[in-house]
Amino acid sequence: MTAFELQFRPSATLIQVVRRFVFDFYEGVLDDPDTVARVALATHELLENAVKYSLDGATELSLGIEEGEGGTREVALRLRNRAAASDVEALTALFAEMDQYPDPYAHYQAAMERGARRRTGSGLGIVRVRAEGEMCMKCSVEGDKVLIEARTQVEPRREA
Amino acid sequence: MSAIALPAVTVPELKAEAVHEGEILVLCLTGTADMRASEALERVLAQVHTEAQRLGVAQVRVDLRALEFMNSSCLKAFVTWISNVRDAPGEQRYSIHFMSRPEILWQRRSLHALRCFAVDLITVES
Repeated sequence: MTAFELQFRPSATLIQVVRRFVFDFYEGVLDDPDTVARVALATHELLENAVKYSLDGATELSLGIEEGEGGTREVALRLRNRAAASDVEALTALFAEMDQYPDPYAHYQAAMERGARRRTGSGLGIVRVRAEGEMCMKCSVEGDKVLIEARTQVEPRREA
Repeated sequence: MSAIALPAVTVPELKAEAVHEGEILVLCLTGTADMRASEALERVLAQVHTEAQRLGVAQVRVDLRALEFMNSSCLKAFVTWISNVRDAPGEQRYSIHFMSRPEILWQRRSLHALRCFAVDLITVES
């Protein structure tokens, strides 16, 4: 089992610390620098999302190597926090939009076109995680509790 | 070669410097561009755009070789800048050349995405 969980109130400074830790940790576990960089990027983007939209700041981050469908091995990244109803609605709409774009990069380009004219927020974070991070993304909501899961397939070098 | 005055970046994690020589303006970013730096980066890129048009340069080179990480808010600042260049009248348009480091793996994917956004304007060197 190679997994860890952090419960904390992320700040910009702490996110940088966690991104570097995740990078260093998985560099020691996986024989795949590209996957390591993608997981670190996804961790950073999802934590920044939590800073912007968490109701109380509290965030649970868990990362682990798990068995995926068909016996593949995957890095699973999960982020839980509480969010305001309007942010939950926007997040749900974004995940629904993903279904309209089977090609993550087409979605990314559409989000960039939209983002170029946005005054606040980039609207790119989660879309970037899916495209650049090559992650399968899921979102589930229970009341004001949001769980975002991002998974990517890997070939692990060894178990820690 | 002359230095270009840029808006102050008060975030210690990011440093921005620009110089102009002939038909080229070079913007060099060093450090980490995350949520703390996005507003400053927006101002820097707006100033680079203004100066590039004032000086009539043919190309702006963006040196990212010492940029450890860039988040989506800072990426969006680039998207807005590129969009402004793309939408400018022909005589005020210039090309954008990104200088990257292959070992910094996010750069390849992010710069590929930016290049797809304005394929006629952007080149990437690694």
